[in-house]
Amino acid sequence: MARHTPAEKFNRALERQLSTPKALFTALEPGEIRAAGTTPLPSLTHALRDIPREGFKERLRLNLERRAKMATRTQAAPEARASATPYLSVRNAAAALEFYKKAFGAIEVMRLMQPDGRVGHAQIDIEGARIMLADEFPEFGFKSPESLGGSSVHINLDVKDVDAMAQRAVAAGANIVRPVEDQFYGARSGQFRDPFGFIWSISTHKETLSNEEMQRRIDEMSRTDAVAPPKKYIREGFHSITPYLVVPRVAQLIEFLKGAFGAEERFRVNRPGTEVIMHAELKIGDSMIEMADANEQFQPTPATMILHVGEVDAVYDRALQAGASPSQPVTDQDYGARGGSVRDVSGNTWHISKPAPGNTIFKDYRSVTPHFNPLRAPAMIDFLKKAFGAEETYRAQSPDGVVHHAQVRIGDSVIGMGEAHGPYQPAPATLHLYVPDADALYDRALRAGATSIQPVAEQPYGDRSGGVTDPFGNRWFIATHIRDAAL
Amino acid sequence: MKARANDIEERLLVEAAQRDPARFTDLYEANFERVYAFVSRRVHARADVEDITAEVFQHALENLPRFEWRGVPFVAWLYRIAANAVADRWQYLARESGRPATEDRSVEFDHEEIERTERRARIFGNVAKLPAEQRRVIEMRFAEEKSIAEIAKALGKSSGAVKQLQHRAYTKLREQALKGFAGKAGGRNG
Repeated sequence: MARHTPAEKFNRALERQLSTPKALFTALEPGEIRAAGTTPLPSLTHALRDIPREGFKERLRLNLERRAKMATRTQAAPEARASATPYLSVRNAAAALEFYKKAFGAIEVMRLMQPDGRVGHAQIDIEGARIMLADEFPEFGFKSPESLGGSSVHINLDVKDVDAMAQRAVAAGANIVRPVEDQFYGARSGQFRDPFGFIWSISTHKETLSNEEMQRRIDEMSRTDAVAPPKKYIREGFHSITPYLVVPRVAQLIEFLKGAFGAEERFRVNRPGTEVIMHAELKIGDSMIEMADANEQFQPTPATMILHVGEVDAVYDRALQAGASPSQPVTDQDYGARGGSVRDVSGNTWHISKPAPGNTIFKDYRSVTPHFNPLRAPAMIDFLKKAFGAEETYRAQSPDGVVHHAQVRIGDSVIGMGEAHGPYQPAPATLHLYVPDADALYDRALRAGATSIQPVAEQPYGDRSGGVTDPFGNRWFIATHIRDAAL
Repeated sequence: MKARANDIEERLLVEAAQRDPARFTDLYEANFERVYAFVSRRVHARADVEDITAEVFQHALENLPRFEWRGVPFVAWLYRIAANAVADRWQYLARESGRPATEDRSVEFDHEEIERTERRARIFGNVAKLPAEQRRVIEMRFAEEKSIAEIAKALGKSSGAVKQLQHRAYTKLREQALKGFAGKAGGRNG
């Protein structure tokens, strides 16, 4: 019975059609109209053999939607109507105008003067790009990078010929922050700082790359041995402030620190053929310290440091055994810590200390924190604020005006101080200060009253650094980490 | 009248898509079966048909800003892109197999040819609208050339049930195909 159902009959007729090669039939032919109602039509059968796969239409639609989205993004950009113009507040706008003309070939479009001689408003044109500038007006809240210690905004300048522009800028007096080179995203660019504290990123577009090509170049960059630019201005492992011990007998000091405090030696370079150490770096707990033998150029500056440890008594004893001389026996101090002091072979003083549980005075202290004994703390604090943008984070002052303890933060580090009294008298120290913009901070320090030891320059180990002496005799090496380099 | 209304509607779709590429999807949905039908009549390997169909729409999306409405249906532009893509593929296939390729890239866009393509496209559209099981049977039987026994096994049904589904689906498609044809040719439904 099953053989004669309509479905069975139909299927048999269909089988015959399906066994015929495709190419013989095209579309529905007039003659087919008169075919019996249920027989398969050859042309329809033929067409059904070519139906699209289920899901193909949908997949292609998604593919096209993705492409359409990408097209929209690239089209949107040229439609933008609004414009944004950098407005620079500078110290000595008249000089800045002359500089930009010389360095960038800028054309002065307009200048308006104030009765007091300041430039109230000026506008320049650099290859069609518009920049506005004026003298700083701190009374209205407009401060120059020199007053602020830097600028958080840098200016991107797209020009016809970046190499020519860079040469011109440097000849006019701009500093190279990053030399011109080809970038992975298809532009050629470099960064330069003008004498007024602004950074200009000068660029020329070279090639337009697909996302895939850019990704390929990034992947290749990470694969090669080329050193990657650091993400931070502080060298890996360091903090904003690092004590730099310029003292005698550094080789012995290193052994002492290892034995007494479990210091790890990270780096050392001797003067060839001698025991004299030109530079060494050690890690104690979470802090790096640097040291070098004192010489004619750099007189000794033995330092005072607070060393936070887990077991004060044990470390104190170990220090004595390692060769330190006792300075103050271990007791519970009245400021909420247990501690004692030793003096090491090079003349540095270590306050070995552990704050009592719940004591928050030293919450910002690390393993090693530099300590000062200025004659008058407010003077030092004021200088540090003016020169380095330091922030006072703690002060304990008695009614007679004596500052017993104060703390000041620069970047991610604090230093402590207590006004000089008894055996605790001022002694100059040397510190290594990592900042985002060494050049700017060096200038700022000089304006705040420091004197130059050496101007900021690019060092072979990948920092830009210079040195100043503050009015209290302390030496500050101001640095910005530019790139990791093999030491 | 319907043709004119279609014209206006299509023109609006094209202009909308030129302003906002995201709207291209509307043009795609309206013309997918036609392009697929056009290509499948000239190229037989399914993978090639899919590739070329994709190329046609990708090319159209990219070049849409340059398209100028001249009163000719949008699909004619798509057919022209498709014709070129097919000719390229023939040349490529001929080279691969060592046969001399035809240099003739002209495609006859006569009325008959367009009609045939349209009818085929309608069939494709109708298949997509079948109930899921019927559609699956049609696809496996015709496009994938599977036997009744294989389909029955794949779907977990009896052969008899599969033949029923096949018959039902085909009858419906036949009805729809003849309706469209009879409307044009003025003939009686068979």
